[in-house]
Order: sequence, then C-alpha cells, then structure tokens
Amino acid sequence: MSADEQEQEPVLAADDIVAGYVPGVDVLRGCSIEVRPGEVVGVIGPNGAGKSTLVKAVFGLLRVRGGTVHLRGEEVTNRPAHELVRRGVGYVPQLQNVFPALTVEENLRMGVYLRPKAYARRATAVEELFPLLADRRGQKAGAMSGGERQMLAMARALMMEPQLLLLDEPSAGLSPLHQDHVFDRCRMINSAGVAVLMVEQNARRCLQICDRGYVLDQGRNAHTGTGTALLHDEKVIELYLGTLARVR
Amino acid sequence: MRPQRKFVLALALVLVSVPALSARAQGEAVPRGPTFGARALQALIDGIQFGVIIAITSVGLSLIFGTIHLINFAHGEFVTIGATFAFYLNAAAAGPGWHLIPAAVAAVAFGALLGGAVERGLWRPLRARGTGLINMFIVTIGLSLLLRHLVLVLYGTRPASFAQYDIQSTIGLGPASITPRDLTVTLLAVLVLLGIAMLLQKTRIGTAVRAVSANRDLAEATGIDVQRVVLFVWMLGGGLAALGGVFFGLVEIVTWDMGFKLLLLMFAGVILGGLGSAYGAMAGSLVIGVVAQMSTLWFPVDLQYAWALLVLIVVLLVRPQGILGQAERVG
Ligand SMILES: Nc1ncnc2c1ncn2[C@@H]1O[C@H](COP(=O)(O)OP(=O)(O)OP(=O)(O)O)[C@@H](O)[C@H]1O
Ligand SMILES: [Mg+2]
Repeated sequence: MSADEQEQEPVLAADDIVAGYVPGVDVLRGCSIEVRPGEVVGVIGPNGAGKSTLVKAVFGLLRVRGGTVHLRGEEVTNRPAHELVRRGVGYVPQLQNVFPALTVEENLRMGVYLRPKAYARRATAVEELFPLLADRRGQKAGAMSGGERQMLAMARALMMEPQLLLLDEPSAGLSPLHQDHVFDRCRMINSAGVAVLMVEQNARRCLQICDRGYVLDQGRNAHTGTGTALLHDEKVIELYLGTLARVR
Repeated sequence: MRPQRKFVLALALVLVSVPALSARAQGEAVPRGPTFGARALQALIDGIQFGVIIAITSVGLSLIFGTIHLINFAHGEFVTIGATFAFYLNAAAAGPGWHLIPAAVAAVAFGALLGGAVERGLWRPLRARGTGLINMFIVTIGLSLLLRHLVLVLYGTRPASFAQYDIQSTIGLGPASITPRDLTVTLLAVLVLLGIAMLLQKTRIGTAVRAVSANRDLAEATGIDVQRVVLFVWMLGGGLAALGGVFFGLVEIVTWDMGFKLLLLMFAGVILGGLGSAYGAMAGSLVIGVVAQMSTLWFPVDLQYAWALLVLIVVLLVRPQGILGQAERVG
C-alpha cells in the first residue's frame, strides 16, 4: 500500500466501541477497527468473541454505549441503520439475511428502497454478478438454498451501490464450491472499488484474501496486522487458526 | 412463538371474552323465513356482510401485531370513534349535519390521524425506551378504557342511527333479501379489502410493510425506515377501523361500546387467520362473521359471540398457526 493511500481518510473508523444486549453486560469492551478505501478487512476470533456484535454496533442495529463510529470522517454513532445505508454502507447479516416471504425481485426492490428509480439499472448490474438471480426473479426467497440466499443477500446489499460492504460470515454453512464462489464475488466486488469488512469463521481463507485482519477475543482487539502476517503469527495460529494451520 | 407473546395473547383473549360474552350480541336474529334453506341463505348473506366488516377492522390489528408485535387492545375504540365521529358530523343535534358520505370520509381521515397520533405520541417513545411487550399491552388496555369513557362522556349511551340510508325496502335475492344499503356496504367492504391486498402486494410501501413484518432488523438494515413504515401501518389501521365503524353503524347501530364488543370477533378473526398475516385476518374474520350469523339458525342470538370463540378454540387445537399462518420454522 502506498503512503498516499494510508493518508486517506478511512471509510470506516470505529474507536473504543462498548456495546451489549443486556443492560449492564458489555459484550464489546473497547473494540476498535478501521477500514481504508479499497481495502478488504477481515475480522476473526472464537465463537462468542463479539464479531457479529461489532458489526451490528457499527451499523446502528445495536446501541453503542461508548466510543464513536465515523464514516469517511463524519460521525454516525448510533444513527439508525437505514441512514447508514443511505450513506453508502451495505450489510449482510450472519443469519436470516433475506425476506423469505418476498420474491427475489421484491427482495432486490427492498434493497433499493431509498432510491426506487435506480431499480432497473442496479438489478441488471447485480444480476451480472449473480446470474442465478436473473432466472429466479419471481421465486420466493424462502424457497432458496442457503448458498442461493447468501447470493441474494449480497446482491440486495449491493443494490444501493455501497462504498463499504459489511459481511457477517458470508461463507458459513456453504459447500467448498459455494465458499469459493462467495470469496470470488467478494474479490470482484472489491476490485470494483468497494471496501469490504468481512467477519469469517473460515479464518485461514479469510486472511488469505484480506489486506488486513483483526483478531477479536472477548470483546477486545487481540491482534492486528496484515492478512499474511496474522496467518504466520505463532500466537494467532495457536489460538485461533488451530495447529493444523502450521502443516501448510 | 415466544412465551411472552403467548402470555399476552392469552390474557388479551380472556379480557376481551368476558365483557363481550356477557353483553347482548349486536347482530340480529335471522327472521323466521318460510323454509330452513331460505333462512340459511339469509344467514349466510348476513354472515358475509358481517364478516367483511370485521375484516376491514381486523386487518389493521393484524398489521400492527405483525410489525411491532403489539396487541392493540384499544383497536375497538378506533372503530367506535370512527362511527361516533361520523355520527357527530352527520346526525348529532350539535353537529354540522353533513351528508353521511363526506362525514364517513372525514371519520376515516380522523381515524388515520388518531392512529398516527398514538404511534407518534405513545408507542414510539415507549419503544425507544425499551418498554416490554407486556407493559405495552397493559398500556393499550388503559388507552382502551380512556378512549371508551371519553366516547361515553361525549356521545352518551343512547344508540343512534345515521341520518341517511336508515330505512330501506329490501331487494329479493331468491328466497333471501338484502337492502340496497347493506348490499352497497358489503360490496364497498370487499373492494376495500381488495384494495388493501393490492396495496400490500403491488406497492413499494406495501412490500415494505411485509418486509418489516418478516424481519424488522433486516428491513432496517436494507434501508427501510422502519419507524415510518410503522407509522404508516398505524394510520392505515386507524383509518380502516374508523371505516369499519361507519359500516357497522350503518348496517346495525352506533353505540358507545360497539367497537369494544366487536374486539372479540376481531381478535378471533386475526388469530384464526394466523397472527400477523393480513390475508389471514381477512379470511379468519369472514369465517367468524359467517359462523356468528349461521349459529343464530339454531341457537339464541345472544350466544353468537360464544360460537365464534368456540370455532376459534377448535381451529387452534387442530391448526395452532391459524388458517393461513405458517408453522413456525425450526432451524
Ligand atoms: N441478541 C442477543 N441477546 C443477548 N446476548 C447476545 C445476543 N447476541 C449475541 N449475544 C451474546 O454476545 C456475545 C457475542 O456474540 P456474537 O454473536 O457477537 O459472537 P460472534 O463472535 O459473532 O460469534 P460467532 O462466531 O459464533 O458468530 C455472546 O456471548 C452472545 O451470547
Ligand atoms: Mg457471529
């Protein structure tokens, strides 16, 4: 990365985030994360570390109790999620990421709810990325397989032409072939200029395609570094990647 | 369904059943026709008419439950307020004496504003403070009492009819008959129901209502302003309840507690059809209306609400998710 790029204002900067679900119990206890323009950033960590919670807090789906969130320099802490969508953030949740009772087309239309006139143009664009959706416009999303739903959810999140895409475990529960497909699409989306923040269980795969990675543990940043550095960090291997990772 | 929701639901049913069952029913006994077949046909026609009016009022109840999981115990009062407001404009001694049609339109607008006002002034602030569903439900009971007694003070206890379309000669329908007024009300009600279906199915805001009902967080994350959609649902529900009140006041009579008595049947329709499903509420209400009227063929008219409740219990034992409801998905 050039020095010039490092000077650039981060697309997303979350500082010292404290958040939780139950009053008095903080799941995140001072977590910081940054995404710079054009980057793919990975977040890994054990189950329950607070990865999904971090994404939800950043995106305004969960109340932030402390710390700040900035989008391209503007503070958006605790703004409602639909406002972040308007400001160019797309989000694909880990679970329940489509509206099952709505058709594929209706799901996509909801994706562009704030800008209905853009539907036709955007639908063509995302169907180019996910061709299977074109033949399924009239089908109920609830009748799709997990992998197909993931595609639809990503397509829906891309409808507003976001500059930042938040993906919570996009490859979870998918066959290796579908996982490849999802990671491929992430790269394609990123090469079109969209910054990507990706939470992944599949830590090794994730770090391989990431510019930088964060390791989260018990609601705090445990390690930070470039994808490759984390991939070869003894401590990270020991704790999060599993000793099998060393075999490679 | 989460236990909390089940509890609120059970409580709502008990609360609404007791007064409704002890009160005199509002429907009329089917006149002794020449043959049983003729009387049955008459009861069916009356039942459909009753059912579509219940459906108009219960769609809003169902949509409100679908979007924010709140059982609006005060929904019956929206019905009463619609009818009494139209009565004031149309036939009250102190009122301006408008024709019923503009009075009805104004009542619907008033109902929508009232729905919007309680959402903005009450429910939204309560939700923002994280008030639990049970507490919110208790607030709706309080609101219901408050509004009902406000109507009592302003309107009084005397049942009354609108100034127009009161006495009419009937048109024959084979062995049965219907007044032009009742026929018009029924057809209008059906048109309104079709309109709601179109709205939900074909328009942007309607699709958003369905999206919010399916998954609130995902709707917000998709870029839908969920609070705006909820406001829309309250205004739609308030307006429809008021319209149902005017229709009910037309085919029956306007009273200060008409909506509260109707609430049991609205609930029954909503639950029967599958909680939160607008089409389910329509279908369920139609069934309830027909059952309530058909029961008068064999049983005293005062028991007609009890039969509606019985049907509800039987259907729920056989198909707990309601007629059109989806079984709760596991996994
Ligand atoms: N809706 C919720 N209500 C209460 N607690 C929650 C809720 N969601 C998550 N938690 C708690 O917050 C903690 C962090 O959860 P989170 O989902 O962020 O973990 P994660 O890192 O994404 O885990 P995974 O890898 O399993 O997805 C967990 O202890 C979990 O029990
Ligand atoms: Mg998670």
